[in-house]
Amino acid sequence: MAPELKNIDLHMHSNVSDGTDSPKELLALVKEKKISLFSLTDHDALNGAMEIQNHLDQFPEPLLFLRGVELSCQDARGKYHILGYQYDRKGGPLHQMVQKAHDIRLEKVTARLDFLKREFGFSFREEDVRALFQNHNPGKPHIAKMMVTYGYAESVSDAMKRFLNKKKFPNVALPPEKAIGSIIDSGGTAILAHPAYGDGDQLILGEDMDQRIRYLMDFGLQGMECYYSSFTPRIIEEMLDLAGKYQLFVTAGSDYHGSNKLVCLGDTNLPAPQDRAPGFHAFLKAVQVI
Amino acid sequence: MNSSFVIPLEGRIDSNNASEVEKNIDQLRKGKESLPLILDASGLEYISSAGLRVLLHLKKTAPDMTITEVSSEVYDILDMTGFTEMMKVEKAFRQISIDGCEEIGRGANGSVYRIDQDNIVKVYRDSDALEEIRHEREVARLALILGIPTAISYDVVRVGDSYGSVFELLNATSFSKILAREPDRMDWVVKEYIELLRTIHGTIVPEGKLPDMKETVRSWVLFLKDYLPEDSWQKLLSLVEAVPEDHHMIHGDYHTKNVMVQNEEVLLIDMDTLAAGHPIFELASMYNAFIGFSELDPGVIVEFQGFDFATSRLFWDRVLAEYLGTAWEKRIRDVEDKARIIGYTRMIRRLIRRNGLHTEQGQKEIAYYKKELVKLLETTDTLLFAGAEFKTEAKKEHLPLVLAFIDQYLEGTDASSKTRNQMHLIAEEIFVNITEYAYREKPGDVILKMELSEDGMKARLTFMDQGIAYNPLEKEDPDLTLGAEERPIGGLGIYLTRKQADELSYEYKNGSNVLSVIKHL
Repeated sequence: MAPELKNIDLHMHSNVSDGTDSPKELLALVKEKKISLFSLTDHDALNGAMEIQNHLDQFPEPLLFLRGVELSCQDARGKYHILGYQYDRKGGPLHQMVQKAHDIRLEKVTARLDFLKREFGFSFREEDVRALFQNHNPGKPHIAKMMVTYGYAESVSDAMKRFLNKKKFPNVALPPEKAIGSIIDSGGTAILAHPAYGDGDQLILGEDMDQRIRYLMDFGLQGMECYYSSFTPRIIEEMLDLAGKYQLFVTAGSDYHGSNKLVCLGDTNLPAPQDRAPGFHAFLKAVQVI
Repeated sequence: MNSSFVIPLEGRIDSNNASEVEKNIDQLRKGKESLPLILDASGLEYISSAGLRVLLHLKKTAPDMTITEVSSEVYDILDMTGFTEMMKVEKAFRQISIDGCEEIGRGANGSVYRIDQDNIVKVYRDSDALEEIRHEREVARLALILGIPTAISYDVVRVGDSYGSVFELLNATSFSKILAREPDRMDWVVKEYIELLRTIHGTIVPEGKLPDMKETVRSWVLFLKDYLPEDSWQKLLSLVEAVPEDHHMIHGDYHTKNVMVQNEEVLLIDMDTLAAGHPIFELASMYNAFIGFSELDPGVIVEFQGFDFATSRLFWDRVLAEYLGTAWEKRIRDVEDKARIIGYTRMIRRLIRRNGLHTEQGQKEIAYYKKELVKLLETTDTLLFAGAEFKTEAKKEHLPLVLAFIDQYLEGTDASSKTRNQMHLIAEEIFVNITEYAYREKPGDVILKMELSEDGMKARLTFMDQGIAYNPLEKEDPDLTLGAEERPIGGLGIYLTRKQADELSYEYKNGSNVLSVIKHL
């Protein structure tokens, strides 16, 4: 018999990327919230998902988990966040690509620290810098936080505005076709995250959205995250119409980041099972949950 | 207590500061969660989707939150994303100036100015007029849906410390202006003015959609309890209470400044007084506008309407004659007296509320209107009357309404009961004939029009329907395929009608059957 999938959350972050909960803490929270199907989708990182997978393997429980990832992409046409689900556990182009992106990211952090020292004379203790690099995915926010602790800036946004944003480092942007391609080549399913919100800070609706979907479908995009914590009913409806029009999979996610953002785990705007879009059931079938 | 908690939003809200903004708001709200939250967006320049998230999450803890003073750029974003459906979002109003603008009208709650050739603004006197504006927009929309030609405001603006409603009126001019500048067009103005008035009074208002005018008038009467002699007051109250419930529309402030002509189309404006009720209440406010306000000082009308008292008197008499379907002086004055009773009631209340009892001028005016009112109450036994037209669906069960209308119209004439009975027989024959024959295929309306000759001795009864064209006065039945039983015109019925009518005529005009009967009273 198919499991009862009342509470589902397919989009969340751990401290492997920019969330605040460790994968283990997340697992506990998922159980507490009685979420029966979930996925950890750290930014450009697979370690957290792998960790949870290993926990689940040791303690087999009736908890359904999808290995996930959220890849930040960009090309001349815009920025995208692509979710990947149920990619192969070992090896594969996705793993290689994430490793390469990680290396680039570390190089960028080094360059930023150099810039801060050279331009403003800010220096940091060696153990703090080491801790920074031990972070799976260190970036601007992590440096900003450190600057606040040191008293170099009043707040994270102050640090960004006055110092970190003063120098742009060329983004080694991952083009969407590469992201989608590597997910699919690793046996996974590629979904566009929070479509109407672009890379998280835009608003794309109507014909622009339609064009964007057709563009990404050419690269193999398979679905859209239509149920999303921060969508209004109107936006959800528009996204579902589009998913229906192109017969795409539909997913649901909260984009929970722990205490960083005030989104609750499990809050995805996904309706009761009988009211869910056909594309959502199709997705569950495709990832072999039902 | 109507207190609320206001938090200002500033600058941009995007991914750089969204979580900070959210935390700040949370911090500020601590201990004030029970108060309705108002986000004042007057300083908000831009909101990205990260900012929309903040609003959405906030809405979960403050379900009744309101966002006010939203710029049109931000409003467009909130509207496009469906936020305006989920929370109360109030647009910031653009500020306009009326310095040097021509004042083209003044009503109970505001003045109307012409901003430019094509736009006018109605500025509300009350500084907190948003509720009034909303009400007026709503009733104007309702009126438009019900078929009343009117203008609907397309924008709300700030005018100094007040609010204004902006209307597009292309090259429009008011009936007042036409009467003042082109007196030889009075015939046309009377005709159009009455046509629009009949459209209003012929419109049924869905129950509960508009205030009941009778209730309003009743409240005026109650207000006067201590200011009128006891028996006069009792009479006044019983007259008002005897007015039957009526779901037809009345405008409530139907004077010539509130009727505009735009590209030869006649438009009704100033819709905030729209109500449902008996037409006597409308005539009362019209009487005040044209005569009542100026009775003691003919200069008032010149200032108010732009034409002189003689023109106003002439126009009012012509309008009343047209509306009542007769130039018979007795009838006109009789209905005018009914209108004056309600008009004066309102006037006295108005003067008292404006401190009239404490000024010499006020006391003089109140004494005059009171004296007239008391006199009128001695000679008037009903406020009811019949206008010249009565419209009803052509259904047999509405026959009693038709007969009641005829009776009401003949009230005060010399018609004997025998004459009235004959009129009933004629009306029944014709009305039933229309329901059964003219509208046998699809239902429709019948308009009944009554007129009295200038001496009040002759009545004309006209039936108009838009059913199958047919002249019942012709002998031959044009449709011979019908069986005898189905043939709607029995020889006997029409024979009796012919015998009892003094004159009978038929014509088919503009798609209508028009059957006219004249009867000597």
